[in-house]
Amino acid sequence: MAESSQSKSGGKKRPRSESEGDPDADADAASLQSIQLENDLNFTDTAIALQMMKAQFPKLDKVVVRPFILRSQLYSSVKDRTQVDRDLESLKKEAVVRVFKLNTGKDDHAIMFMDDYLAQMENAVKRYDAKDKQLSDVFDWFKQYVIKSKTDVSISHPELCSLLSNGGDVTEKHVTLLINAGLLTCQLIDQNLYWFVIPNIGSILKGLSQGRKELLSLINRTKYKEMVLANLEKKRLRLSPLDIRFHIRDLIGSGLLKTVQSPIGLLIRLSRD
Amino acid sequence: MLEETEDEYLNRCAAAAQDFVDFLDEEDVDDDEYFHRLMVYHKPGGSDQTRTRPVPFPDPTQTVDEPRGVVRVGFITGQVRHEAQRRAGQASPTEQHFVWSRVGFVFRLVCSSRLRRGGREELYMWTWKALNQREDGSLRPSAFRRGVVSSRASSLQLSNAKEFISLHRGAINSLEIDSTEGEGRYLLSAASDGTVAVFDTHRPTSSSSSSSTSIAQHHPLFHLPRAHKFAISRALWYPVDTGLFITASFDHYVKLWDTNSTQVVLDYKLPAKVYGIAMSSIATSHSLIATATADVQVRLCDLASGAFAHTLSGHRDGVMSLEWSSSTEFVLITGGCDGAIRFWDIRRPGTFLLLDQSLSQLGTRPPLLPTPTPSNNESTSLPASSKSSSSTPILPAQKRRSHKKIQLKPPTQSSHPGMASSQNRATAHYGAVNGLRATADGFYLLSSGSDSRLRLWDIESGRNTLVNYEAMSIQTSKPIQLAVTPDSSLVFVPCLASLKAYDLWSGTTINTYRGHYESVNCCFFNAQDQELYTGSNDRQILVWSPSIPAATQIEEADSKGGITSIDQDNWSD
Repeated sequence: MAESSQSKSGGKKRPRSESEGDPDADADAASLQSIQLENDLNFTDTAIALQMMKAQFPKLDKVVVRPFILRSQLYSSVKDRTQVDRDLESLKKEAVVRVFKLNTGKDDHAIMFMDDYLAQMENAVKRYDAKDKQLSDVFDWFKQYVIKSKTDVSISHPELCSLLSNGGDVTEKHVTLLINAGLLTCQLIDQNLYWFVIPNIGSILKGLSQGRKELLSLINRTKYKEMVLANLEKKRLRLSPLDIRFHIRDLIGSGLLKTVQSPIGLLIRLSRD
Repeated sequence: MLEETEDEYLNRCAAAAQDFVDFLDEEDVDDDEYFHRLMVYHKPGGSDQTRTRPVPFPDPTQTVDEPRGVVRVGFITGQVRHEAQRRAGQASPTEQHFVWSRVGFVFRLVCSSRLRRGGREELYMWTWKALNQREDGSLRPSAFRRGVVSSRASSLQLSNAKEFISLHRGAINSLEIDSTEGEGRYLLSAASDGTVAVFDTHRPTSSSSSSSTSIAQHHPLFHLPRAHKFAISRALWYPVDTGLFITASFDHYVKLWDTNSTQVVLDYKLPAKVYGIAMSSIATSHSLIATATADVQVRLCDLASGAFAHTLSGHRDGVMSLEWSSSTEFVLITGGCDGAIRFWDIRRPGTFLLLDQSLSQLGTRPPLLPTPTPSNNESTSLPASSKSSSSTPILPAQKRRSHKKIQLKPPTQSSHPGMASSQNRATAHYGAVNGLRATADGFYLLSSGSDSRLRLWDIESGRNTLVNYEAMSIQTSKPIQLAVTPDSSLVFVPCLASLKAYDLWSGTTINTYRGHYESVNCCFFNAQDQELYTGSNDRQILVWSPSIPAATQIEEADSKGGITSIDQDNWSD
């Protein structure tokens, strides 16, 4: 499925890179990582785009995190942004994916497949040994009642308590345990609202924001504020554990970089407003 | 007869960057072919840099289906045809005569002064074909007007025929044209240095005497240097006529001015600095000014009595933008610094609707544009219980043990129909809501937030339509003024130092207007003339009008030298 969709997306490329796309697609069917970014910059469907980008998620050595996709990466891959939003909404309702709001910059969202998120949650819970064994029932209640029914990015305190109390008595200590384990975070503006978060993702988010700045400064230092994509991909970022393709997609989607077709290939240019 | 086909000839001209000559052979030409061969060729380096090949004439068999809009009925002079033909290929005078003799019926456009100097080639092409259809009655006048208006609105460029000389010494915060019936003529502008000015958009006061082009200059009719002590955030015309205008400023005052004597008639002192004011243009039973201040309450000031009418409380932080509904005179929409958008019915206490960005139209209404992907079919057939996330969630069947629930906060709201919960923390944006605009038909609301998102809301159901307007960056500190074309096709958003025009329904960027040196604060679309006025921090008011090709500027210079501008109809030949 992945290969057929990949060759389909390779065929949807701009005519210039089409001839390069097909032999590459065949040759690299085995190892998806080494595909040039230029060949699969555009997809036709949100679900396909999500699967492809999950498969291309960089392997991190220090931290174990299941693959997640940023919303801006989706925008850069699928042409029609409204359609992306609507597809995401229906995928959320079907509980196939889960959307989280990140605290790096405005309007950053991370998308994670539901089974990845549940696995990540299991790892986090296992690693966090609760002092009081009674309280650790709350994790099961959380998973069973809250995650399945509340598909938003945030939840209010009364609602959280009422959902958790379907499992048993709920006290403030239970909620504190959830926060300490890294599954919920208080919103800064309002004490009563909590964000859902991906546990153990803090170091990666730091790397994300620093990697963005580094990539932007890299392009800013060039004479004409642009670089050929093929050359840019070969560089490594010092400050971010995520690879450079992750950041390129993210920045194109949020509008800070733009792609320009040129006779030597695809150029990445800093967009000025 | 040409030895090569017409297409080959045209391609050869395109490749050699030459103008082509349109040979009209009398016995060949019937109606369709005449129009088909009327192509326009742009020289590279001309006004339109992006085209180096002929613009093909639209298929005559296609029906023109343009979006709705309102335009004045017009006629077109022979002058227009003359110009279009001339640009179409430097046709010789005899051919021009021939062209005109085929015109059976003559129209004259009321704004002919503009069309004579302006209008893009597509407008001419479409107008040619539409004129013919209008002649034989297959195109109704309203459809013709709509088509002309929408093609003009989507071809705006920095005007090289008109400019406003602004005497403001501070950033321009507000622009408004009066909404008197049939004639939107006077532009009211307010700036951060506490000054107010009024311009006449129809009649210039002088023109700069440069050699090739003359730009009509509009000086202010009057300029009040010390209208307020601090910056003025908004200035409005009285909706009924231009005898009064209202200004609101950061010095906590809202003042009502008489236009002719430029004196303050009434003023209201508010407890905090005023970010915005609004008056309903369809109100017949009340004359209330709604004020948005840094205080959490929205105050309604009554013009008739000179006092405050009542206050609306419910926001948790200051209110930055507000707008009266364009369909009912009693509904007020406010956007706050806390990110919430509330709907108030001023006859009842409390909010009756709060917009939540996580509630989308899924399951309630079909999306705005038909989408080709099959995955959309599943979304419309979702179960009804997924409609609202505030309804009871779907829980797996379980046995309920008798257990104590923890003490929740006491349930707050009564069942009064006008009261939406003040505990409801739903937000429409992740930052402050700094711009609100309702479409003219009253069905949709656009809101811009300091999280740099623009959202389109369906008012009747209160849901987010999830239309995604491509990347923009909106300034966060000030309220901004959005503009929507009356036929609800384009929305103009100030994004830092440029202005972007988006298609309302699909969210694609149609155009970016770059001309200001600093951030743009306000924009106003003049629907009568299809012009856009923008004001920014660089103290300038810029005019964007439907674009004028370079060729006509040379023609104007010629016409000054005494070449007869042919405004006659040579159909008798």
